[in-house]
Amino acid sequence: MTRSAAGYWIGFAVVLALLVVAPLVLPEFWRRFVTEILIWGLLAMSLDLLIGYTGMVSFGHSAFFGLGMYGAAAALLTVRPPNLWLAILYGLVGAGAVAVFVAYFSTRLRDIYFAITTLVFSQIFYVIIFTWTEVTGGENGLGFSQPAFAIPGVVSARFTPVTLHWFVLAVVTVSYLGLRRITQSPFGMVLQSIRENEPRTRAIGYHVERYKIVAVMLSGLFAGLAGVLYALQNKFAAPDFVFFLVSGEVVVFNVMGGMGTLVGPVAGAAFFFLLRELFSRFFTEYYLIPVGIIFTLMVIFVPQGLLGFLRRRLNQ
Amino acid sequence: MTIPFDLLLIQVINGIVTGMILALVASGLTLIFGIMDVVNFAHGELFMLGAYLGSTVFLTTGNFWLALGAAVIGIGLLGAVIQTTTLRPLLGRDPLTTILATFGLSLVLQNYALWQYGPVPRKINEPITGHFSLFYLEYPWYRLLVAVLSAAIIGGLWLFMKYGKYGIWIRATTQDRVMAAAMGIPVPLVHTVVFAIGAAMAAASGVLFGPLTGVNHAMGLDFILRAFIVVVVGGMGNLGGSILAAIFISLLEAFASIWVSPAQAVIVSFVVLILALLFRPTGLFVPTPK
Amino acid sequence: MLSVQNVHTYYGKSHILHGVSIDVGPGEVVGLLGRNGVGKSTTLKTIMGLVRPSEGTITFEGRSVAGAAPYHLARLGIAYVPEDRRIFRLLTVLENLRTGLDRPGVPPERRDALLAKVYGSFPVLRERRNQAGGTLSGGEQQMLAIARAMMLEPKIILLDEPTEGLMPRMVAQIHEIIDVLHGDGVAILLVEQNVRLTLEVSSRVYFMEKGVVRHHAPAADLRRNDAVIHQYLGV
Repeated sequence: MTRSAAGYWIGFAVVLALLVVAPLVLPEFWRRFVTEILIWGLLAMSLDLLIGYTGMVSFGHSAFFGLGMYGAAAALLTVRPPNLWLAILYGLVGAGAVAVFVAYFSTRLRDIYFAITTLVFSQIFYVIIFTWTEVTGGENGLGFSQPAFAIPGVVSARFTPVTLHWFVLAVVTVSYLGLRRITQSPFGMVLQSIRENEPRTRAIGYHVERYKIVAVMLSGLFAGLAGVLYALQNKFAAPDFVFFLVSGEVVVFNVMGGMGTLVGPVAGAAFFFLLRELFSRFFTEYYLIPVGIIFTLMVIFVPQGLLGFLRRRLNQ
Repeated sequence: MTIPFDLLLIQVINGIVTGMILALVASGLTLIFGIMDVVNFAHGELFMLGAYLGSTVFLTTGNFWLALGAAVIGIGLLGAVIQTTTLRPLLGRDPLTTILATFGLSLVLQNYALWQYGPVPRKINEPITGHFSLFYLEYPWYRLLVAVLSAAIIGGLWLFMKYGKYGIWIRATTQDRVMAAAMGIPVPLVHTVVFAIGAAMAAASGVLFGPLTGVNHAMGLDFILRAFIVVVVGGMGNLGGSILAAIFISLLEAFASIWVSPAQAVIVSFVVLILALLFRPTGLFVPTPK
Repeated sequence: MLSVQNVHTYYGKSHILHGVSIDVGPGEVVGLLGRNGVGKSTTLKTIMGLVRPSEGTITFEGRSVAGAAPYHLARLGIAYVPEDRRIFRLLTVLENLRTGLDRPGVPPERRDALLAKVYGSFPVLRERRNQAGGTLSGGEQQMLAIARAMMLEPKIILLDEPTEGLMPRMVAQIHEIIDVLHGDGVAILLVEQNVRLTLEVSSRVYFMEKGVVRHHAPAADLRRNDAVIHQYLGV
């Protein structure tokens, strides 16, 4: 193993260990805080696959997130007894369905047009969810109970906040490793080549459209998974999370943390939420004013984000 | 199922009225994009702040026209400041950065309005009250005034661009900013002025729209989405196209709200966008490039 | 009057100019010859501020102007006529001219005089003054591009391949225009592929190769002895 790779894995192990121990030592509020950062971090990572690696800006990830959330809700409300794995499945299917649409458009639209279309998509779903009260609970959303962690014949246990955190951590860690594997594979290299110079990639002979479609599908599925985790943790699904501003916030996490690094967006999410906590002490609910200013300043002066300097090292 | 004629007529006129306001907002947006390749995410907030500023002036003076004037000047200046501080350093960078920067700004401005003005909606009273008779219906004068004023402002803009002394500078910079600079046109200044004009137009729309639904901090969000759709459907940078698209989409939405709630009618505009992007990605109202 | 010293320019990572030095005195017509891709256009663009040099100095009338904004240079008296003309296609001919004419500090009488003069040199522009620039033929667009630059009343015009794609008759017209400008005391830095024209109008000629100036000679010498030309242009 090369020295930088060893360094990376040591760092990874340290962070993982900290996250495992966290729920045992932190007070309730901060425990939830860390769990939520992991979930939003997963959402941000899924977006990084598109923004950071393929160069496709999406303002619509709240749609994938929301459909994962509502998909899980559907499973937990309609199937008795509530089944964890079914919730995950339904959520992924829901997010996957939206991803198919978005994937189709991604191949026909470039840049700004794609960004605006994804934004419109998340709003379409927002409006549908908001107004279709009979099915989605409309404005009030849906509430449901948490399923047990059950493997038939092996174990069945209700989640405690600590074990739920570990479950989320496990899912997010596996997702991270999976995404890392994808981005460092030949497939991931082609994605990056598309980001750098799409016409040239096409000229070399790669079927750019196919790569984009797969990238969108993967991104959508991981985002949907984040939505499922959120539903599991909070036991409700609400249209607020599908509103396009949420998509925008996820883009904020990516940019602040550093695009194209996978861990950057997670750090960006953590940074954002920490800032929110900090500023809420002084500005109550108007924390977005200073946070927004910081974000805008970062876009101008620190566009590579907090962890952007690690980009090359993380992508070896 | 037959639709009563009077309902149809009212919806057509409503569609045109909303369309004109939307056209006013979208014109500013497309002007800004055409000249400096900036997708101004904060445009909805400029619209909203214009309405709030107008409502404050209205509260103290009771005069609609003063409110309109104050909003136009105040937000125009704000636009100039925003462009100079935030957007000028980003000139020449990836267009994504300007979308992000203006998105960050929109978050700041939105919450600033919430902080400064509170969550309770404000009111602006229309300068002309009363209705006139349209066939056997009553239709408010004010709505007609709104359509006429919007048209007048857009018309004024068009005249300025075509015949005004600095109109040539703006049009030249829009077509080729490098050669415009080589001809001695102070391009950075032109950019700032155009952004300010776009902001002022958004603010005017906000004040005009205020009496119709009240002034609240979320009004920008609603409009910005529609404005983006209009600009894309009409062709980015295409002023005439934006106006036509705005009216077209508003008419469709007005018809749709006969059957569904207004919240759902907005899906119509989304569908139009998607269809337009599928079949005519450069814009429905843009002449086919040769 | 215009002095370019040891200028290096990059396009991204490509090192295009490797230390170019050129001088143009007041009222002089100076030629810049070389094969395609050696950096002649880049030199003009660097002078005009369209590209920033990474090293070197550019002085105009004693002031350092390297990296200055193009609109500032235009106001100082440097005009630029690019290789692809780049007239404003959607503006009328008159509006194109006005982009240079509508400067602060030009009283109406002088404006009218300038316009009349340019219409005199280019009668076809007067005919087509209300037509959109994009409807003009290639040659007419070249006339417009030069006329537009003249509206700035410049002290020096940077002319990039004005005869490219033009018929012989129009090449002769370009020759006349250059003579008129020279007669008015306007300096010209002429980048060209047309060697004959360049030798006829210039007093001195620079030869560029791979981003540097390799040779520099009075035009008179070159007219007598064209071996150098064959060496650098392979013509």
